[in-house]
Amino acid sequence: MGRRTVAKSLGETVPPVSAEVVIVGGGIAGLAIARELVALGLTDIVIVERGYPGSGATGRNVARIRAMQLTEELTHVAVACQDKYDRMGDELGFNVLFYRLGYAWVLYENEEVERMRDIVAMHRRAGVRSALLSPDDTLRRLPILLGGDPVAGAVLNDDAIVHHDAVVWAHLEYLAGRGVRLLAGTTVQGVSIDDGGVTGVQTDRGRISTPVVVNAAGGWSGELNALAGVVAPNRPYRREVLVTAPLRRSIDAAITFYRPTEGWFNQTLRGEVVMGVVDPNEPAGVQQASTPAFLRRTAALVTQKAPALANATVIRQWAGMYDVSPDHLPLVGPTQQLGGWWQANGWSGRGMLLAPYLVELLATQVASGHQHPRLQMFDPDRFPPEVSTAESAHDYYARYAAR
Amino acid sequence: MPARRLPEAAEAGGARVRFTFDGRRYEGIEGEPVAVSLLAAGRLTLSRSFRFHRPRGLMCSTGECGWCECEVEGRPSVRTCRVRLRDGMAVRGEHAWPSVEHDLLRALDLGSRLVPPTFYHHRFLRPRRLRKAYLDVLRWFGGRGRLRRGMPMDWHVPRALQRDEADVLVVGGGRAGLLAAIGAADGGGRVVVLEADAEIDPDLRDLVTQARSLGVDVRLGTMATGWYGGMVTAMDDSSLWEIRAGAVISATGTYDLVPGVPGADRPGVMSARLVGRLLARDGVLPAERVILVGQGQESESVAVALAEAGARVIGPIATASLSGIGGRGPVSWVRYQDPQGARVTTRERVDLVVFGDRTPNLDLVLAAGAAVGWEDGRIDAQVAADGRTTVAGLFLVGDGRELSHRNGPSDQEVGRAAAAHARRTRENVASGEVGGGPTPTIRAGNPARSPARGLAPARGPAGAMVCFCEDVRGWEIEAELAAGYSDPELVKRRTGALTGPCQGKYCLVAVTCAMSGLEATDRDQTVVLPTGRPPLRPIRLGDLVVADGSIEPIAPTPAPDMVP
Repeated sequence: MGRRTVAKSLGETVPPVSAEVVIVGGGIAGLAIARELVALGLTDIVIVERGYPGSGATGRNVARIRAMQLTEELTHVAVACQDKYDRMGDELGFNVLFYRLGYAWVLYENEEVERMRDIVAMHRRAGVRSALLSPDDTLRRLPILLGGDPVAGAVLNDDAIVHHDAVVWAHLEYLAGRGVRLLAGTTVQGVSIDDGGVTGVQTDRGRISTPVVVNAAGGWSGELNALAGVVAPNRPYRREVLVTAPLRRSIDAAITFYRPTEGWFNQTLRGEVVMGVVDPNEPAGVQQASTPAFLRRTAALVTQKAPALANATVIRQWAGMYDVSPDHLPLVGPTQQLGGWWQANGWSGRGMLLAPYLVELLATQVASGHQHPRLQMFDPDRFPPEVSTAESAHDYYARYAAR
Repeated sequence: MPARRLPEAAEAGGARVRFTFDGRRYEGIEGEPVAVSLLAAGRLTLSRSFRFHRPRGLMCSTGECGWCECEVEGRPSVRTCRVRLRDGMAVRGEHAWPSVEHDLLRALDLGSRLVPPTFYHHRFLRPRRLRKAYLDVLRWFGGRGRLRRGMPMDWHVPRALQRDEADVLVVGGGRAGLLAAIGAADGGGRVVVLEADAEIDPDLRDLVTQARSLGVDVRLGTMATGWYGGMVTAMDDSSLWEIRAGAVISATGTYDLVPGVPGADRPGVMSARLVGRLLARDGVLPAERVILVGQGQESESVAVALAEAGARVIGPIATASLSGIGGRGPVSWVRYQDPQGARVTTRERVDLVVFGDRTPNLDLVLAAGAAVGWEDGRIDAQVAADGRTTVAGLFLVGDGRELSHRNGPSDQEVGRAAAAHARRTRENVASGEVGGGPTPTIRAGNPARSPARGLAPARGPAGAMVCFCEDVRGWEIEAELAAGYSDPELVKRRTGALTGPCQGKYCLVAVTCAMSGLEATDRDQTVVLPTGRPPLRPIRLGDLVVADGSIEPIAPTPAPDMVP
């Protein structure tokens, strides 16, 4: 095996004078769209990244690749996204550790169970192999829940996890081999506009002329939109995570619950347990500091659900940004507000899952001008001007009730 | 020769009790650390390393390195140097098959040269139908401790959440911390000292009495667990604490600096601090044939104590002259350069390597994001003349500072400076001004060489282990840099270095050295380290549960800096 290097791409420190496409953000969305553009024959691409590749939410999430969604249209998209990951290893020649760990949506109220009956039927129609389990079967399949809060059931399927860092490296190797430049540690400070269209970006290392800018800045996409005078309703919210020392295989699916509040835990391939309980009152804003309240909140609820985890040892905690849109769906496409300005953000916590597939469709649109029908639901200009993320329901189920 | 109990200690010791290790019965003395009982019973190998199943044994005795982790009474990955032996205790080795002593998975270590952390990147994709099976196998190799269901929750008595405020908070109740607290108490404000040990070191009783007489709140058995934007969290038997202070003094001492040579992680390599404790406190001589490496504060006294206990002692030899530690499993030989420059391998068997080097404990400093520098093979905080770090309100005293700032102010003077800082901050807040007064300039080091240019060899031979939790060797870090992963965060993620349970406590120096292309002799260099993340030390999830069990309202986000 020859030693593969990313030095050619990551070693860049001086921005080029011009580029066909400038991608702002070196996370999953930015790296994946660069890859798709390369596949379409564009190589004059620059990725501008304020930290290191994957330093935002891409390097801070737990990479659950979940087809189990609540609406039919999103389920179809998620299935395509999962397929995209399943193929990624072959396409990029890099093992991203796509692993069907299983996914369990654990239900604690009968009202949840009733709601999920129709959802499971919908999953089956969409080709997702979900099953609604009885309380007994839930405990048989997920013995980690024994002794915890009484369960009302669970929806279980064979959804996957990947290694989020490996996904970044796979893309870096691919891009470095094809001449795409990545300016790490570089911040965009201004956007030049002429005649209703973008003409370039000003970075702290110099200016790059370009007719096309892709905003793939995740939690920082709002700041970037503001530099361009573009209005978008997505807002950054902090989500926190903790990880334990590795344990022998003891949890056989990625577990999520929404009662009494949203929480989740699963084991990585190495055996660490990652977990988190969401603060429903988390204020909007870029904030990546960890909090002690998160540790207490997570310890209280997770040990209530899975008492055996009381003996797991917390070794590290961190926080990352969700870029949340009012309907919790991403903004993927050009905006009518500014020519040459493309949105690939607002992932609302589903960037790892959705980005690689949706930016494949987006790249085709950048290159050909034609919108894939699937991208219609992600049109960046779909929101009425007054809508805000604050109005959207905090309850996970209620977010999707209207559709 | 295995370890033995010293005759006088054997007579004076407490009650003999029985316990089991991997099902075999042993005898120990009630109340001594379980790891000591195991050592005295001749069990040198206590655990296996995560990746390559290398044998590990008792090394530091401070509860921080994790090499003595075993399953105790069904509880996974317990640091046995911090657990007292009780009658009938059941201890088990982890992460080994069939046993920790004879682990067939050790075969992985023999082929470890072929298995860099990135080995899977271009493998296991074909045939496609076996992909999941490959990862199932990989998953089987992972893991460590076993979660046993139905364990009694009484180990995790829910705690009360308590909030406290102090003018000066001292983390660490050793000599330096107590002196700093006494200095800070001069100012008349409220001074709190957190000390993780529940018992006072007999040598420090007078200082504790003096501090308490000045009104200092010395809290024993209280362990600092995190730094969150200036707020310090702590834990004792009954409470979780959130403490805000006008100034925080880090008095957390030092970590043992494991020699940077291949084989330094073998059972039988022990810190001088540990060996001193074994002889003086536990009455156990860990081995008869000993070689001393490096100079440290205990090295001399330990050499004397070893000789008095009947050990045969070689050395001390300089750390820099050491080039390898070998044996089948535990230590049996040492390779080094003699003063004439010739490479020597010990001819007679050596059972114990005692090293004396230390490195400052910078946990709080790094968690706070204060600037650090590289100095003579160590990482030091950059501190001003009055002991303050580059983070406003965080001060540093004791061995952690004196290793390389010997001519600085006394610990008491730093305590007074911290109290003055807290007072100024309070007055300024009261008067609506911002900041804690003028900040003395802090000598900044030169930026370290960019690793992209010129790769210096890692400290010691490239085959040396630099990160023990994840079994990362120097050459693996070099390979990542050479492949273009030039950011320390990327190297950390690619190799796993710094991400294990010790969170960098025992590998920061070696990993930084390898990452930054520094050499042991370099001085006065600023180094960029990956972000330090809370908590400061591993905590059981169950120990974080607060008594009322409800999901508490969320406290406001702490400010990025403690000073308004």
